[in-house]
Amino acid sequence: MKLHYRNLLLIALLLLSAPSCKKYLDVVPDDTGTLDYAFRNRNEAENYLFTCYATLQQFADPTTNVGFTTSSEIIYPNNLTAHPLVETGFNLIRGTQNSANVGLNYWDGENDGKAIYRSIRRCNIMLENIDKPVDLSAAEKQRWIAEVKFLKAYYHYYLVRLYGPIPIIKTNLDITASTEQVRVARAPVDSVFNYIVQLLDEAAPNLPPVISNQAKELGRITSVIALSVKAEVLATQASPLFNGNPDYAGLKNKDGQLLFSTTYDASKWKKAADACKAAIDACTAAGLKLYKFASPAISVPDSLTKVLTIQNAVTEKWDQNSELIWALNPTFPDQGYATPRMTQKSAVNIFSNPSTFAVPITTAELFYTANGVPMSEDNTFDYAGRHNLQVGDNASRFYVQNGYTTIKEHFGREARFYANIAFDGGVWFGNGKTNPSDLYHVEARGNSSLAGPKDLNTLNITGYWPKKLANYLSVYDDGFQPIEFHLPLMRLAGLYLLYAEALNEANGPTPEAFNYIDMVRARAGLSGIKQSWSTYSNNPTKFSTKDGLRAIIHQERRIELCFEAQSGWDLRRWKELQGVLSSPMQGWSIYETDPATYYQPRTVLIPVFGLQNYLWPIKSDDMLVDPNLVQNPYW
Amino acid sequence: MYKIFTANICMPSGYAKKFFLIMKITIFIVFLALMHASAAVYSQKITYQEKDVTLKQVFSEINKQTAYNVFWSTKTIKHTPKLNVNFQNVSIEDALNFCLKDLPLTYVIEGKSIIIKEAPAKELPKVPIPEDITITGTVKDQKGEALQRVSISVVGNPKLGTVTDANGRFILDVKNGAVIRVSYVGFQAQTFTVSPDNKLFNIVLVEEVKQTEEVVISAYGRKERKEAIVGSVTTVKPEELRIPASNLTNALEGQVAGVISYQPSGQPGQDNAQFFIRGVTTFGYNKSPLILIDNVELSANDLARLQVDDIASFSILKDASATALYGARGANGVILVTTKEGKIGKATINVRYENSISQSAQALQLADPITYMRLFNEATTTRDPLAPPPFSENKILNTEATLAHAPGSNPYVYPAVDWLGTLFKKSTLTQRADMSVNGGNDLAKYYVSGSYSIDHGILKEDIANNNNNNVNFRNYQLRSNVNVNLTKTTELIVRLDGMFNEYNGPMTSDASFQTDLYNVAVHTPPVLFPAYFPADSANLLTKHILFGNATGAGGGGANSLYNNPYAALLRGHKNFSESRLSAQLELNQNLKFITEGLSFHGLFHTNRYSYWDSQTAYAPYYYNVATYDKTSNQYTLQWLNPKQGDAREYLLYYRNPNSDNLNSYIFFQGIMNYDRRFGDHNISASLIGTQQQTVYSDALNPVTNQQDLQYSLPYRNLTLAGRATYSFKSRYFLEFNFGYNGTERFSANHRYGFFPTIGGSWVVSNEKWWDNSLSEILQRLKFRASYGIVGNDNIGQQRFYYQSNVNLSGGNPASFGTNNGYQLPGVVVNNYANPDITWETSRQLNLGVEFTTLRDLNVIVEVYKYHRYNILQDRTSIPTTMGLEAGITANIGTANTKGIDIQMDYKHSFDKNFWLQGRGNFTFAESTYGKYEEPQYPGNEAYRYESGQVIGRQFGFIAERLFVDDNEARNSPSQIFSTNGVPPMGGDIKYRDLNGDGKIDYHDEAYIGYPTVPEIVYGYGVSAGFKGFDLSAFFQGQARVSFFIDPSRVSPFIQSPDQYIVGNTQLLKAFADNHWSEDNQNLYAEYPRLGVTGNQIENNRQTSTWWLRDGSFLRLKSVELGYTLPKALSRKINVNKCRLYFNGLNLYTWSPFKLWDPELGGNGFAYPIQKVFNIGLNVTL
Repeated sequence: MKLHYRNLLLIALLLLSAPSCKKYLDVVPDDTGTLDYAFRNRNEAENYLFTCYATLQQFADPTTNVGFTTSSEIIYPNNLTAHPLVETGFNLIRGTQNSANVGLNYWDGENDGKAIYRSIRRCNIMLENIDKPVDLSAAEKQRWIAEVKFLKAYYHYYLVRLYGPIPIIKTNLDITASTEQVRVARAPVDSVFNYIVQLLDEAAPNLPPVISNQAKELGRITSVIALSVKAEVLATQASPLFNGNPDYAGLKNKDGQLLFSTTYDASKWKKAADACKAAIDACTAAGLKLYKFASPAISVPDSLTKVLTIQNAVTEKWDQNSELIWALNPTFPDQGYATPRMTQKSAVNIFSNPSTFAVPITTAELFYTANGVPMSEDNTFDYAGRHNLQVGDNASRFYVQNGYTTIKEHFGREARFYANIAFDGGVWFGNGKTNPSDLYHVEARGNSSLAGPKDLNTLNITGYWPKKLANYLSVYDDGFQPIEFHLPLMRLAGLYLLYAEALNEANGPTPEAFNYIDMVRARAGLSGIKQSWSTYSNNPTKFSTKDGLRAIIHQERRIELCFEAQSGWDLRRWKELQGVLSSPMQGWSIYETDPATYYQPRTVLIPVFGLQNYLWPIKSDDMLVDPNLVQNPYW
Repeated sequence: MYKIFTANICMPSGYAKKFFLIMKITIFIVFLALMHASAAVYSQKITYQEKDVTLKQVFSEINKQTAYNVFWSTKTIKHTPKLNVNFQNVSIEDALNFCLKDLPLTYVIEGKSIIIKEAPAKELPKVPIPEDITITGTVKDQKGEALQRVSISVVGNPKLGTVTDANGRFILDVKNGAVIRVSYVGFQAQTFTVSPDNKLFNIVLVEEVKQTEEVVISAYGRKERKEAIVGSVTTVKPEELRIPASNLTNALEGQVAGVISYQPSGQPGQDNAQFFIRGVTTFGYNKSPLILIDNVELSANDLARLQVDDIASFSILKDASATALYGARGANGVILVTTKEGKIGKATINVRYENSISQSAQALQLADPITYMRLFNEATTTRDPLAPPPFSENKILNTEATLAHAPGSNPYVYPAVDWLGTLFKKSTLTQRADMSVNGGNDLAKYYVSGSYSIDHGILKEDIANNNNNNVNFRNYQLRSNVNVNLTKTTELIVRLDGMFNEYNGPMTSDASFQTDLYNVAVHTPPVLFPAYFPADSANLLTKHILFGNATGAGGGGANSLYNNPYAALLRGHKNFSESRLSAQLELNQNLKFITEGLSFHGLFHTNRYSYWDSQTAYAPYYYNVATYDKTSNQYTLQWLNPKQGDAREYLLYYRNPNSDNLNSYIFFQGIMNYDRRFGDHNISASLIGTQQQTVYSDALNPVTNQQDLQYSLPYRNLTLAGRATYSFKSRYFLEFNFGYNGTERFSANHRYGFFPTIGGSWVVSNEKWWDNSLSEILQRLKFRASYGIVGNDNIGQQRFYYQSNVNLSGGNPASFGTNNGYQLPGVVVNNYANPDITWETSRQLNLGVEFTTLRDLNVIVEVYKYHRYNILQDRTSIPTTMGLEAGITANIGTANTKGIDIQMDYKHSFDKNFWLQGRGNFTFAESTYGKYEEPQYPGNEAYRYESGQVIGRQFGFIAERLFVDDNEARNSPSQIFSTNGVPPMGGDIKYRDLNGDGKIDYHDEAYIGYPTVPEIVYGYGVSAGFKGFDLSAFFQGQARVSFFIDPSRVSPFIQSPDQYIVGNTQLLKAFADNHWSEDNQNLYAEYPRLGVTGNQIENNRQTSTWWLRDGSFLRLKSVELGYTLPKALSRKINVNKCRLYFNGLNLYTWSPFKLWDPELGGNGFAYPIQKVFNIGLNVTL
């Protein structure tokens, strides 16, 4: 029996060695990070503040910016075999948008769009928890709340521009909310705009006018930014797309609520004008003024200084750009796509730089003549003969290579043309050469030329490059060495023109409006509107009517802000994009080497853009999930 | 607990109804049987012929055949020996006299009752005390080997007894008339009655072979008599799993009723088969069965490496009743393997050596280089008539010259490369050897085995640059199972084993080891550059290989080089090293001193797993022809990658520390067993407690692929399980099981799940009334049924469902400052907490019938119906306007499975020289989505609903035909895919506008074809033996399976979507022969209109019925011819058994699909499945 006791003991030991069952399965230790830990102290909360900013900073990628890709200013080929860039946005003007699989879907965060509703939820989480950090000072807390409110407003604004009426997310729904609660409906478009303005109004007073600690905080929201954005928001609300647009008169929620006001309200323009003026005053008070290039080191002829002034108003370092209101922290990533090959080494090293951003002829022809009026209106310009060949001469040697054969319309244009566009025979100040007597120029005829098409992936299908999107100090030679810049979201010249637009819409042509347009024109080296049109236009009184001045302001804005991801948005709110995209987009015959055959326009893209394309479709499956949503018209 | 139990059992009214129906049928059958019995005519004579019967069986027979009733007490006949009886119309008295003649028993007849009594008890005083008789004898086994330490005991006198010596001899003094019992572990005991005439014994013990065949290993390694099994358990003879491959999982295909299996790749070390028990029965996260080796949960890899020679038993537990004890993890079925233990006796050495030659079962047929170039030109101009054709007539003519080896031709300037032939050998060799030693005595037994296998791939190596780039997979194993009898009632088992794998193979472009060389070779143009150049005049002293290449790959520029598959092959190699060391201690304690039939089994197991990988490579130098002088046939070369660092002659070593993985596993198990017979009643019960823990060092979050605190925490399970069985007279069996399982992954409220099952069986053929006429037709008939629920806690990737997973330092970064100098990482929510998440549960009904007919044909047919519920599913009803960063999940989904398993085997020996065996099995399993949360689709899109669809079916467009011309394409419903806006042309695929909205988009996609996992798997084989020869063949097939050719990867000339591929896809011969072109406007051609970029043929790259193929096939899986040396001959060379065999694997395949091996499915450019020819020698010493 002794043996048996020993056995029993052994068994008992085995059984006892199993620890308490309850604790055994409790493996999660305390202090496992949850969302609460994000607001334990100031440092953690600051991290969450940055989380709120994260999506905003992702907007800096131009290829996913509708204002850039559908601007009619840039064509990106769709038959490349290599795909280094996101092409969804560029292809939208080819008619690829559809409600089943929405391109640049910023609602759901699909097809290269960002999930904005997630970003809004993060902002709300921040606002809900901002009282928790124990060591957060009152002043800092106030500023952070203001920043998050701005972000929340801007995220709503981004959506309303794309989708029109959207569900407003004032506060977060709990994760356990019932199905009925989560099925939100779209709010009328004016309610959305009003809510955005309300948030901006709440935010602006608690924001600093300028960033004092630039090394650490440049890029954070200031009151100047908030006020400028408010001006843009109100101008958008007042614009034809959203202000009594008859195309959307029938859009209503399932309960019959109208989502667009059916009547045009001119007072919206008055509010927009006031907001513009307030923003301009704030900018002035903060020391902002139109940028002028002043290089102490090199002496540059006046004609080139004008070019550099226009170019650098965009590509200047952001802490030294006196007219920059707002830019995002990520730098412009695609300079290599905007730069033609101009050196022998770059022609060998084609892989480092595809130079595929192509500008259609229509955009090149948008720019004024040196007389400050449209080419087609200039009574001194042979518009019909604009494609006739002309050889570069000494007088225009800083714009067109002396002795190089190109066409008439590349001569006698305003400085903004030469600052914005690189063309066959065009002079390029920079790329490593800054001696005005020895500069590079573009040679783009045929595949044996430096900038000509090398293969299917490294070609420019029109023969025009968006020169403005490259810093003049960036060098494309043996590889590509960019000098980084931040593409402005808002700059003073744009705000001036927006103010002038709002004034004209509210009050018709007024001296105040002319004043602000002329400031922008003067900086570009042009005379004032009245003088230019009176002297050179074959429609000399165009500016005296509201409609005439509107056309002038719209073209002025498209020229001034060309390639800056603005006109895609502007043309939409003006309801002009359909007209702009109604004609085929053309380029030169790039494979030809002889000027006479090279300068034959060739259609490279026939845009598809219907009335439906002004607003984004809501993904059709979203309406299955949320039956309270209604689709945008015509989708 | 009771509440839950009743609720779950009674709720489904459908099952309850069926249950009652079955009850009714049963009662009816029983009633019929009784009627039959009462109609029998009583007689005083009996006819009974049987071997090895117990007295009890004889008495039962008398009860059955006569009007008499025999009464006996279990105790009296307990130690009586078995008899061989042959009564032909013998009277009861004669029969009884015969049976009781050597026994201390007698009988009296009172009326219709016969009472068996102990005879000598009364007679003892009368007879003088018998004298001691000295008995002597020898004990041998059937082979004639003397058996040592065989116990000789005297029945009824435990103090008396002896054991045999080394020569198998014994001597013992016993009383006259004493009954001695000769017993030895692993052999059938025998009893003899001693008399003065009967005192010299030459005993031959018979191995308990029959008994081991009849034993089935069920849950927790419990041995159960086959007869008593109620649940669905399939046992596979280890021998049947022996195929000439170093991967056990490959042998499962078609071998086991109820297992759906297929093998997606043939690369050594990467060739595990996919297997599912009774198909994919859930659409949840984990579909794989639980794998237990010696009761310990291990991975599919461990199973794959297991040596067949080490396997003692291989069982598949399929239904709820069988898997119930594993409640938490048994929902997908259980594979249970036990390894061999030592046998008492002299050391037996078993050696096996195999040498195989393997080659690809089916090779890809590519078009020749000239056709490639001509059709490349056609593809270019058919899409864009203005585009210049890429290959000039001059190039084509010169390449033709190369192919013809014409004088003056130059294969380096005008190459025509057969990349597959350049990279891959026709065949390769594999060696496997294993050896085991076992033996022991009644104190200790041991089984020690070691094995070594080396598998080679079919990749070529170059003597000029041997970089060990071929696949070379070595597996070493050492296993030692030692059983020690500590006391008469205590057994200690120590199992130690180590599994070591060393893999060496070609470089791959991704982290996996699946070689991409097939893929690269098939996507590299054959005419642009040769594999390498012989040195030109400038490179005579160059040490490195001058690999060929060309610029402008993928339409890219001068820096964009193609893949040179030969350089990719030779540039280096990639290794991994994997090992698992396990130690296992078991204790078996018989507790009969507490009460008869009670025993305890304790187990402790721990193992450590380690894995790391590395790679070594140089960077190839690439050249192309710079100048070529046709007249002198001389070329000069141009170096294409001169940039610093792009080409490197020396090797560099690289190891990614993140790929390291160490894990540790600890497992405790205690089982209390009670098993006792009370007359006709047999009762058993078990109570089982287990506890297991795994900790992973890599702590990788599978979603973010980053280390994550939550994933570093131990994975734990606790189980309390129990089983109770009752059986009556080997006719009626009843079984109740439960698992009460705990997991750490759910909130405290849901941490434990209770999973009960109930089952019963009825061996009809053991009934009294199962008379001769019936047993003429059916020798055995058994019905069984089980019903119950089992669970699964491995339901998703989230680690803890009740806990949110928030990454507080990474995911949504932002930076500020002039130079973006101040950056913070941001916060990301990976998961939201949901305390309501609970067990995925499967309710399983299994009905089975087993019968033996034609004497030797055993058939098992089972039908089953599973209902899987609480499947974790994403809440799709939450709109994106909620702004949630991660999906919310809930236990919403349900799935239904139905199926049938049939298993048949036949074995017949015609005489002692000739035997024949046949076996076959058939498995059909189909699972459908039950409840599935999805949006309310509009009425005309009802085909989009997942609910009701078969699980595993693919979603795609319905291709009608090809467009007749551009005009038709333009005027049909718009079908512009992706975001590039290229419309289809004539000869592109026309899809059906299912919802009739005038445009083709994903709303027009429907479920097409069969699932990609076969619904039917079957296998059958025959083997025959004549004298020393044996021959067998096995066929295996699958049906009701579909796959899709991946158009993005097979479409000629375009760029494959794989990141690492830079080059144009080669042209499959089938496509070259039959595609739509302006000249051959076949609307149903094998391939649509050609194109040269993905965008051009985007329309054709959609998943659609155009690319849908029937994946069914029938394969001659194996043929084996063996010769066993005759005993007389082998004895001479001191060998016990010696068998030489030849066999082949994957010898021939019948399939409607011809382009590649259908088992590879859509993955046609993977390492092909291998055809193997093998020679093997098995020697037992």
